[in-house]
Amino acid sequence: MAKVLIVDDDRDLVDVTRLILEREGYEVVSASNPDDGWETVQEEEPDVILLDVMMDSEDDGFVLAQNLRKDGCKIPIIMLTNIGRVTGLDFGIDEEMVPVDEYAEKPLSPKNLLALVRKYAK
Amino acid sequence: MSAINTSQIRDEIKRVNGGAFDGNRAKLLPVLQHLQARFGCISGEAMQEVADAVGLRPVEVEEIISFYSFLRKDAAGRFIIRLCRTLSCDMQGKQRVANQLESELGIRFGETTPDKLFTLEYTNCMGMCDQGPAMLVNDRIFTHVTPEKVHRIVTECRRQFGEYQTGLVDFNPNIRKVGPILTGISEAEAGLRRALRMPRSEVIGEIRAAFLRGRGGAGFPVSTKWQIAAAAKGANKYVVCNADEGEPGTFKDRLLLLDFADKVIEGMTIAGYAIGATQGLIYLRGEYTFMREELEESISNRRKKSLLGQSIFGKEDMVFDVDIRMGSGAYVCGEETALIESMEGKRGEPRNRPPFPVNTGFMNSPTAVNNVETFVNAALILDKGPEWYKQNGTAQSTGTKLFSISGDCISPGIFEFPLGISISEVLEEAHGEDAKAVQIGGASGQCVPRSGFERCISFEDAPPGGSIIVIGPDRDMLDVAENFLEFFAEESCGQCIPCRKGTQVLLEGVRLLRRGDCSLEYLARLRKLSASMKIASKCGLGQSAPNAFMGIVDHFQDELLGRRPKE
Repeated sequence: MAKVLIVDDDRDLVDVTRLILEREGYEVVSASNPDDGWETVQEEEPDVILLDVMMDSEDDGFVLAQNLRKDGCKIPIIMLTNIGRVTGLDFGIDEEMVPVDEYAEKPLSPKNLLALVRKYAK
Repeated sequence: MSAINTSQIRDEIKRVNGGAFDGNRAKLLPVLQHLQARFGCISGEAMQEVADAVGLRPVEVEEIISFYSFLRKDAAGRFIIRLCRTLSCDMQGKQRVANQLESELGIRFGETTPDKLFTLEYTNCMGMCDQGPAMLVNDRIFTHVTPEKVHRIVTECRRQFGEYQTGLVDFNPNIRKVGPILTGISEAEAGLRRALRMPRSEVIGEIRAAFLRGRGGAGFPVSTKWQIAAAAKGANKYVVCNADEGEPGTFKDRLLLLDFADKVIEGMTIAGYAIGATQGLIYLRGEYTFMREELEESISNRRKKSLLGQSIFGKEDMVFDVDIRMGSGAYVCGEETALIESMEGKRGEPRNRPPFPVNTGFMNSPTAVNNVETFVNAALILDKGPEWYKQNGTAQSTGTKLFSISGDCISPGIFEFPLGISISEVLEEAHGEDAKAVQIGGASGQCVPRSGFERCISFEDAPPGGSIIVIGPDRDMLDVAENFLEFFAEESCGQCIPCRKGTQVLLEGVRLLRRGDCSLEYLARLRKLSASMKIASKCGLGQSAPNAFMGIVDHFQDELLGRRPKE
């Protein structure tokens, strides 16, 4: 079964997402900031990355996505964030600044979450 | 004003933006500022005409005029004399100058002479704290004012005063210590040239690698601000340079705007490229009107050299231009959401956060608002690289910073120090070693007593605002507190009660303490009020207004408890 990496600093959200995905048989690994996320990508080679934007860290999810793509990483990235609601602005996929495969605003229902992961997991 | 007829007013309105406003009130403040400059006030009739032109109701125009201290409904004297009443000028003999002005003109502050020649007012910090007392005569700034000079200035004004228009008198740039920023600043456009050869994300990457934090005081990571503005979608994005340097005791941006405007605009252009903005705006405080002409000339020269406008450096898709917006005498507009409100032609009242201005900014578009010094730092980082920048400072507070030092010291002026420097080292440089306290970061900053002079000025320890006011051994700390609280009570925008009322009650409390009429029980209540204000006020002004009071209560109890009630 496919391996999913969740990069998010919200422990509760990581736990709930893990529960939903593991029930469906996915293997789940997690990281709480972009630096750990980078390490985990190298070590675990996940099939899909669920990526938050605003984390309690120096860098944000945009930076991790940009760095992964610059490094040649082709793993599908699903950006899950509430930055649009917090900032009142529109965000979406952008080849240079938001180089992700899907962009979705939190909260996401379990059904929609699974549909997205299924779409990208091998 | 009665002699002004409607067609004259309409003609003047048309001079701003060709009179085409299309319901866009963003040009409201420029129109009002123009009418004020032209006619000396904005009459009821003028309000009606402006309202018609911009598509507002007259009362909506009036509420703007009533908010900004430099706009007025009633005619003032031909010469408006505004004396700075901020602490640093106070320490240098403001009161003697005030007395001389009142006796010379035969009026009190807030009044106009019967011949309508002079209006006398106080104003808050004019950014001349190192050469006070300072005073404005219309747009002209006089420094080192003495009672003798008051007589000469008033006499000159009475003699048809042709020369008294704009500019600086007896001004000294007062650069006391330079470092890598001020010495590296001369290499023209190298940062912009290098930035334009990089992808946008790498430009932000350079700023991130340097760990540049905002130089306005809050220290927010610049790369995060730019990153979010760059990632957000928006047909129009804006870069705003916050040149509303109104924090008492702060005058470092004065130097950058006067002598290094090109580097400021270069930094703005780099930011524009990084976030994908095509328009930059410099929000210049009303007290710095005398700088406007030179800034406009810098902008115009850059356009001629293709450093602004279309195809910058021949890069076809690189379009960026800069415009100046003037403030009109409101300290709170230095707060970035209030600044954006003001640029949109509204009262400069802070917005609730979130959303933060990096996203819902000017005209509801992604906007990166940064301090003047931040843009200069950004331009140099792109020129010389993050490693060069990080040679100075600490892990969390990289680089050097400009400080405005004033008050009870022998060498006031502008100093460039590496972040992480101790307060005692700073005092040694400014020759103020015998100080009993320093106020770091202006009125809203913090008061550090002598016992804390080994603390480091950095984001990890004593946060570096732009200014340090040295408080000498003979200074009464209650004078300091009263000065700051008068300032906050005056500058509170009045939107939220904790700030509006709290500043007044604290000011009254300090006056009670001075008279020896404040019981310990009431002092305890004032402390509780201060704590509440810090939590409940809407913006940084109200949240930081009690700092000076709390600092004195915490560190100078002897001075408070030593007061005896009057007989």
